[in-house]
Amino acid sequence: MSTETEKPEIIDESGDKYKYGFVTDIASDSAPMGLNEDIIRFISAKKGEPDWLLEWRLQAFRFWQKLEEPTWAKLHYDKIDYQSLHYYAAPKQKVSPKSLDEVAPELLATYAKLGIPLKEQEALAGVVAVDAVFDSVSVATTYRAKLAEQGIIFCSISEAIKHHPDLVRRYLGSVVPYTDNFFACLNSAVFTDGSFVYIPKGVRCPMELSTYFRINAKNTGQFERTLIIADEGSYVSYLEGCTAPQRDENQLHAAIVEIVILKDAEVKYSTVQNWYPGDKDGKGGVYNFVTKRAACRGANSKVSWTQVETGSAVTWKYPSCILQGDNSVGEFYSVAITNNLQQADTGTKMLHIGKNTTSKIISKGISAGRSNQTYRGLVKVSPHASGARNYSQCDSLLIGDSCGSHTVPYVENRNKTARLEHEATTSKISDEQLFYCRQRGIGEEEAVSLIVNGFCKEVMQHLPLEFAIEAAKLINISLEGSVG
Amino acid sequence: MSGLLQNIELPDSTLPWLFALREKGREAFIRQGLPTAKTEAWKYTRPRDLQVDDFVMQTSPCHCSDECDCEHHHHSSSLGDALPFDCYALHFDNGHLRHEHLPLPRGVQIMPLSDAFSFADDIKSRLGKTLNLDKYPFAALNTAYLNEGVYISIAKHTRLDKPLALVYHTHSCHDNLFFNLRNLIVVESGAKVELIEYHHYSGAEKSRYFANLVNEIFVGRDAVLSHYKLQDEAFKAVHIAFNGVKVKGGGAYRSFCLQRGANLARNETFVSLTEEGASTEVNAAYIMNGWATIDTTTDVEHLAPHTVSSQLVKGVVGGEAKGVFQGKIHIAPHAVKTEGRQLHKALLLTDTAEVDCKPELEIFADDVKCSHGAASGELDEEQLFYMRSRGIGEDEAKQLLIDAYLEDVLNTLPDTSVKQWFASKVK
Repeated sequence: MSTETEKPEIIDESGDKYKYGFVTDIASDSAPMGLNEDIIRFISAKKGEPDWLLEWRLQAFRFWQKLEEPTWAKLHYDKIDYQSLHYYAAPKQKVSPKSLDEVAPELLATYAKLGIPLKEQEALAGVVAVDAVFDSVSVATTYRAKLAEQGIIFCSISEAIKHHPDLVRRYLGSVVPYTDNFFACLNSAVFTDGSFVYIPKGVRCPMELSTYFRINAKNTGQFERTLIIADEGSYVSYLEGCTAPQRDENQLHAAIVEIVILKDAEVKYSTVQNWYPGDKDGKGGVYNFVTKRAACRGANSKVSWTQVETGSAVTWKYPSCILQGDNSVGEFYSVAITNNLQQADTGTKMLHIGKNTTSKIISKGISAGRSNQTYRGLVKVSPHASGARNYSQCDSLLIGDSCGSHTVPYVENRNKTARLEHEATTSKISDEQLFYCRQRGIGEEEAVSLIVNGFCKEVMQHLPLEFAIEAAKLINISLEGSVG
Repeated sequence: MSGLLQNIELPDSTLPWLFALREKGREAFIRQGLPTAKTEAWKYTRPRDLQVDDFVMQTSPCHCSDECDCEHHHHSSSLGDALPFDCYALHFDNGHLRHEHLPLPRGVQIMPLSDAFSFADDIKSRLGKTLNLDKYPFAALNTAYLNEGVYISIAKHTRLDKPLALVYHTHSCHDNLFFNLRNLIVVESGAKVELIEYHHYSGAEKSRYFANLVNEIFVGRDAVLSHYKLQDEAFKAVHIAFNGVKVKGGGAYRSFCLQRGANLARNETFVSLTEEGASTEVNAAYIMNGWATIDTTTDVEHLAPHTVSSQLVKGVVGGEAKGVFQGKIHIAPHAVKTEGRQLHKALLLTDTAEVDCKPELEIFADDVKCSHGAASGELDEEQLFYMRSRGIGEDEAKQLLIDAYLEDVLNTLPDTSVKQWFASKVK
């Protein structure tokens, strides 16, 4: 069932702004185009999955057929033809690699361009362990042995299904069930790979875990699924970076991230998303439909989402926190930048269920060009969540007069002892600030990026160091050409 | 739905434009039906109560027999004296305009809407122009029954010496009364007027009725309309009101609405600032108990540069009641140098009370200043303790704090006897 993909054109890096717009030329092992039960069986067989998982996928697929694509978001895009995608594409390799030396050199070169040379990574002092997802299959996981010493499991989800079926079976779909929404349901049916993390009781993960996602093969939907379980008293910081090569057709990305946090545990999840946003005229770009949710199951548990969204033609993403355990804490820090014809509808949900739960939302949106951006959020306090506390702040900055910025918060309070505050402002870059910079000899574009970086600072400081530098650069790249 | 859409013969159906308008409303209502949980604009306020088929419409004032003890059979001027300040008052009984002579100053023209169909020059160009029938199902329903109500026109540069009041008395002798009212209010350029709406009930305590009201308001250049409303319906009543307002350059629409009655109430205000320099204030307060749901929905549309809007809404929710606020500020492309402010605050008094709020910004222009804020919480324990320790009883202390809480929204009213009247109603 393997097909040779045609040799795609290599896009000249220097000619375009999108630095990551190159295509790795290796033959991939794809499923035929289209989606039906046979394709799901094919994926499941390819990955040697147990029967229960295949059955679960099929259930999800049957349910998905009954669902309709949601239209409530302020997003306009051409209808997606789910039958004209490949749902499985794996880099073709004879034997699965045992060490980095066995990994195809083209793959390694791709990562080098992205700035995560695995070879180097391994040599570097243990800063980051990377689980690189190349299209649908995890090609190499570094530092695994080192993490295993402490009982930490960090591997691809397919491996986890093979080696830790009990954990996967217990938690997969427990935070985002396949009935949750259209895109999550599709993902449940066809997910190909992703990362799996288990931090045992009382363990503080000694390094930051990281995944890089790349969409490579043409017409491939990427459906990765990440499952993170933080057992009692543990801590982990997880980084996710996304880049996709430049293509003219819109690529589909529908991912799920599920996080389970038990008593006294803490998870910090950071994302830098710079999938290809499409060109000046809105041609191409990635459709990014992501369901991310963390369940704080135990008392005193904590989750913190930090995201920098600069890419994708269409973003539909609401990282959420279910604050079940008493005293649990949910945080959401977001910077979203849209330029040209990008559209983003993003925000969060904070569901307060346990007593004395607190949540904080800081969202900064910057729209430029002809883009449109929406913050959509929900803060819900259930009748039993006494002492709940929420603070939300959503600020938007508009650059140019043809972009749009929208704020749609929902605040539902059913407990009198809860204290909820929400604030939002929208404005443009003030002329005084700009004048101040210009007067001191700073170019207009540079001045804007300076002001924007200041505007986002509150969020950026929550990013781990490696990401913060990259993210600041990304903001500048994203806003290029939006001034003057 | 059949209960709400009845085949009743309405007068003036010979006027082709009117007939067509009513039909349009009827069709739009049938198309939309009653809002459900999936209707975004009615997400928190579900008119479940209206699904029953037992509503009774009265096409003319009640002519019950003498045994009937409806108050309106021996209605006296005592009802007219319900307002403790001097005003030009128009009275409605169970949804019918009371025909009585009202001495009016120059420049003020008032007639029943049914007369205006034939006699008012601008009726065709104005009626139904402030609302989108496909967006507001109840306004569509109201349009299907377009007949009762009043037409008010204030001529250029007219200044009224005292407020104009619309007093709605409901004292239904029939259970499940359903009535539709449409008022068309035109304030010509440079005129200035205060309009007071008072919805009250006097009759059997458990009376259930449905009042479906639409005000269409046109504020001319540099004209000012102050619109103050008190909704104090029976505790089982349903009150749904839509105010469609268009404001021209330099004009101002200032409104305040206090809601304290009904089992299900919604006061929706849609203000369109169509020309440069137009401004609006949409303020509201709600106080509730029992099982009521009270909804305040606002939508301010800035269509021109240099337009200003501000909204302040405050609520106090007790019992098992549910307070809802949905507010929206929309800024059209090129409507630069605009300012939109919005603040909603709610106080929850009991463990079973609920407040849902959805403040929304929709902005398509860059040179704007817009903000919204929302907060909810309970009475401050420390403040309560402070007063209790000084010998003030718990109930009294709470009342003092509630009064203080609502003071800033009441202060948006001009300092007159009207304000005192509203202040007395928040107790």
